[in-house]
Amino acid sequence: MHEELARLRASGETRIASATAIAELRNVKASLIGKNGALSDIMKEIPKLDPSLRAETGKLANELKAFFTKLIEARDEELQLSESAISGDFDLTVPGIPPSGGALHPITQMCYDLNDTFRSLGFEIFQESEITSELYAFDNLNFPPDHPARESMDTYWISGRDSGRGGDRLCLRPHLTGASVRYMQTHKPPYRFVYPGHVYRNETTDARHERAFFQYEALIVDRDMPFTAGKVMVKSILDKVFGRDVPVRMRVGFFPFVEPGFEIDMGCLVCNGAGCSVCKNVGWIEIMPGGTPHPNVLKAAGLDPAQYTGFYVNIGLDRLVMMRYGVDDVRLFHSADLRFLSQFK
Amino acid sequence: MKISLDWIRDYVELPNDLEVSKLMYDLTMSTVEVEGADVLRDRFENIVIGDILEVLPHPNADKLKICRTDIGDGETHEIVCGGINLAPGMKVAVAKPGAMVRWHGEGEPVEIKNAKLRGVESYGMICASSEIGIFELFPFTEAATIVDLSAFGASCGTNLAEALGIDDVILEIDNKSLTNRPDLWGHYGVARELAALYGIPMKKLPVFRPKEGAAGINIVIDNPERCARYIGVKIENVSPKPSLFNIQSRIWRVGMRPINALVDITNYVMLAVGQPTHAFDSDNIEGHITVRSAGDGERLLLLNGKELSLRKSDLVIADDEGAVGLAGIMGGAKDSVLDKTERVILEIANFEPIGIRRTTQHHELRTEASIRYEKGIDPQRADLALGLAMSMFEDEFPGMSVTGFDDNYPRNLESSEIDVSLEWMARRMGKRLSDDSIKEMLINLGFDVKIDGDNLHVVSPSWRSTGDISIPDDIMEEAARLHGYENFEPTPITTAFNGAVNQREIDIDRRIREYLSFRCGMQEIFTYPWVHDDFLDVVSPARNGLLQISTPPSPDEKFIRSSLLPNLLKAVADNARFFDEFAIYESAQIFSDGDYSAAYDKRELLPRGRRSVAGALVGRQDAVNSLFRRAKGILEEMPRYTHMEPLTFTQREKPVWADDIVWLDIERSGESAGKIALLSKKSAIACGIKTSAAMIFELDIDSLKPQTSRTNRYAHLPEYPQVEYDISMIFDEPVKWETILQTIRGKRSEGDLVRSVSFVDVYHGKQVPDGKKSVTLRLVIGSDKKTLTSDEIEACANLIVKRLTKTLGGELRG
Repeated sequence: MHEELARLRASGETRIASATAIAELRNVKASLIGKNGALSDIMKEIPKLDPSLRAETGKLANELKAFFTKLIEARDEELQLSESAISGDFDLTVPGIPPSGGALHPITQMCYDLNDTFRSLGFEIFQESEITSELYAFDNLNFPPDHPARESMDTYWISGRDSGRGGDRLCLRPHLTGASVRYMQTHKPPYRFVYPGHVYRNETTDARHERAFFQYEALIVDRDMPFTAGKVMVKSILDKVFGRDVPVRMRVGFFPFVEPGFEIDMGCLVCNGAGCSVCKNVGWIEIMPGGTPHPNVLKAAGLDPAQYTGFYVNIGLDRLVMMRYGVDDVRLFHSADLRFLSQFK
Repeated sequence: MKISLDWIRDYVELPNDLEVSKLMYDLTMSTVEVEGADVLRDRFENIVIGDILEVLPHPNADKLKICRTDIGDGETHEIVCGGINLAPGMKVAVAKPGAMVRWHGEGEPVEIKNAKLRGVESYGMICASSEIGIFELFPFTEAATIVDLSAFGASCGTNLAEALGIDDVILEIDNKSLTNRPDLWGHYGVARELAALYGIPMKKLPVFRPKEGAAGINIVIDNPERCARYIGVKIENVSPKPSLFNIQSRIWRVGMRPINALVDITNYVMLAVGQPTHAFDSDNIEGHITVRSAGDGERLLLLNGKELSLRKSDLVIADDEGAVGLAGIMGGAKDSVLDKTERVILEIANFEPIGIRRTTQHHELRTEASIRYEKGIDPQRADLALGLAMSMFEDEFPGMSVTGFDDNYPRNLESSEIDVSLEWMARRMGKRLSDDSIKEMLINLGFDVKIDGDNLHVVSPSWRSTGDISIPDDIMEEAARLHGYENFEPTPITTAFNGAVNQREIDIDRRIREYLSFRCGMQEIFTYPWVHDDFLDVVSPARNGLLQISTPPSPDEKFIRSSLLPNLLKAVADNARFFDEFAIYESAQIFSDGDYSAAYDKRELLPRGRRSVAGALVGRQDAVNSLFRRAKGILEEMPRYTHMEPLTFTQREKPVWADDIVWLDIERSGESAGKIALLSKKSAIACGIKTSAAMIFELDIDSLKPQTSRTNRYAHLPEYPQVEYDISMIFDEPVKWETILQTIRGKRSEGDLVRSVSFVDVYHGKQVPDGKKSVTLRLVIGSDKKTLTSDEIEACANLIVKRLTKTLGGELRG
């Protein structure tokens, strides 16, 4: 009888431990310590034993029952905790609930990316009025008096203030560069600042031309800064925007407000410079103008061009964002169309 | 501008091993942007010279012939052709299978394939000039005229470009990149630049020396300030015959049309040296040639048939009878070269650019000549033009004679002289180039150079002295670009660290945008600064104080926005067509015609622009309550999230576009900062918004006050438990939440342990009588001295209920 109990103990212990579901454990429990379980069967045999053995065997059997009960309870708790909170089927392929769906305009996103880059390099951000005068839009920037950009077919002049000259003639700013003089006039050199914003030109619009677009200019002015420092500035911008090392080349370019002036190209990221339709087979894409501020511009800002020089770049963010996402119509940026804008989270 | 490499080689011996791609690259990097190259041999690929051996009738068509043709591949090919001038022995252009041609000179080019024509197999096609793009070189009048190339003596199978002597490469140069380099308008100027780039010599142009005393013509210049020089040459025994083929083809290759030898010479000279010239029939000139201002209202019939009414500011070429040409722009009809012309006067003149530009703009008349004059030309260039033109006249008309010559040259152009410090140049370039190399590069570019210690003394050539080169920085640029910008290493930027950048006024705009986008789920939009009248009518029907654009994008978009709302409403209307629920905002500058100040320069008065942010929450018309609460919540919470001084809400002045009831003024420190309101039904309909409700707000960013840092203080966590206790009470409809709140917060009495009160909801419906509403609010009850018993909590809640019942007539809901 003792041996029988010992065997039951061993096999019962294994069965309890190996039960992997609550229902199975319930069956194990019934078969071990239930009314018709193995232990009950043994206990039913006890009265038939020699009286001298009954007491001890009964004690052993009761001990075993207590042992099983405890073991089953522990296993039961363990199984209950490891059971899923869900009873029944659960569809894991149902989509999640998205967080509330706001976003910055894709151009603002690019602008903030650049602001963060430049701030980390100690640049200030400068904002000025979108309405400016011929004095700041052209005169200060060394545009000759008869430069075609001053004509009304290129610039949006303000009615009633379009006939005078210089400070009396007002317009929606046709570029940002005039702001550089404003900043320099109100701050002390050396300068490191960016001045992003909208500019406006009287143009016929199509998929590649807009009347309103977003420019980003950066200017450093310091004593005897070589133009070769500009290359570092340009590379920092492009590496940030495209998130990888972008080849850059500076070639000759002409703008009235810089001397020397550059057209700055980046290696075509579509073909890696091998030549493709995007870069018109030259491997390079014209990305921004830049250069050293013309001495006349520095003079307009009240600086001595013999001492101070610098480097300026102007980035058309519309174009850069178009390249970033493959957008093929520049007019979408000012369309306020959520079907477009909501794609840029 | 198109540049022929073949033509360039007339002036400079390019190295034999110089690849076209390398030349394009070098020009692009250092001089002008080369946008592409047109290889003529490739353009005429599979178009070859064929010799017609036999012309046979076509069995099935009267108008077609079968030409047995030798195209140099050892076989005789049968080609079906409808040409009217086919004859054995004729050399023709054969488009082999694979060639691109334009059928009958019309439509897009198509590829030639072997085909049966009326049942007869034809190997390619025998072409008319218009079908292979050479009509201007080989014009014809009768349809189906085949181009006869017998005169060219090329052997069968030769590529057409080679056969015609036009195996050339045409570079396409971006005109924009030429703006400041008038010296590069023309092949000679580009050749000069290439000579400098590669350090190779230029060939000399022919020089013309007039015979002594051969006056015969007298040039008078009334306005030397507008005409620095005028050369007139009278040439006899000439005729408007076709010019030599090579002259014609060169003109054609760079995009102009050959006309006759007299006109072609003038165009050729202009394309060669960039100096416009003009030839006019001297038989129609009476007396002297005078350069003078036009009389007011003076009439001039131009050679293009257009008649102008001139102004005093226009400059004309006149004879004793009147104006015969618009100086530097276009000749007149009276003296133009006609079929019977035998004597011409060749004009090589220099006109001042600004006057030319004003006249072309006023009369809307731009010509190849005026484009060049507008850039500014050195008067010395007339000598190059004269030498080249006269040698061409001799080539075209061996029997010609010069019977008159006058060179009236009142105003010479001073060469720019500039002193540059070599040490300064090295600092600005970040690299020291050797004195010798600087000297050599500048000399190659035509400068006179003297180096004395640190001083580089430079005299610029006449062709660079028209404004292009005037300051030391220009000289540095010349040296740097010739050295090659790629050969300069990037220099690290070093500037002193002067402390952290701290721009609260700038940053508040970004913080607001990020708050609206990221916290409030709103989408940022961009719109234009001008507004459409239809939407302006809704927001500010009065129009006073608005700025206007003088040449607006469209007649009904002439006003500049003084509020972001008109364009915001347009965006709402546009998007409502696609979405039931959305939230948008814009942050931008607005302007009004007033408040002018000279913020930067006393010479400049600018209207004050203000930064504004406006948003719209759009939803279904039955969702006004929740739209209102969301919109208000966005503005209520904005100060905390964006770190600025708090905003308050009150009703002061209803905006015209707002609903009669649902509107509020937004204030900061008692000053107006904006509006928030439901768009009225009337306004919505006027905007074309039919089925949506829109909560609109506009906030003046410049009247907000960013805090210096995060100013809220930490509150201790409660030591004893606090309990949330919800109460629902029925009130009369007009009882406002604010009143309920004030009542609860009123006088503190014994047992009032309310720590905070919050709004849960308002309910109308079953169990709530008409004219009443059920308000649920949540109390937080607790003590900082002990843990409250449930009796104490109940007592406190009852205290509040009693107070609301007594003061506001509230009734506890069961």
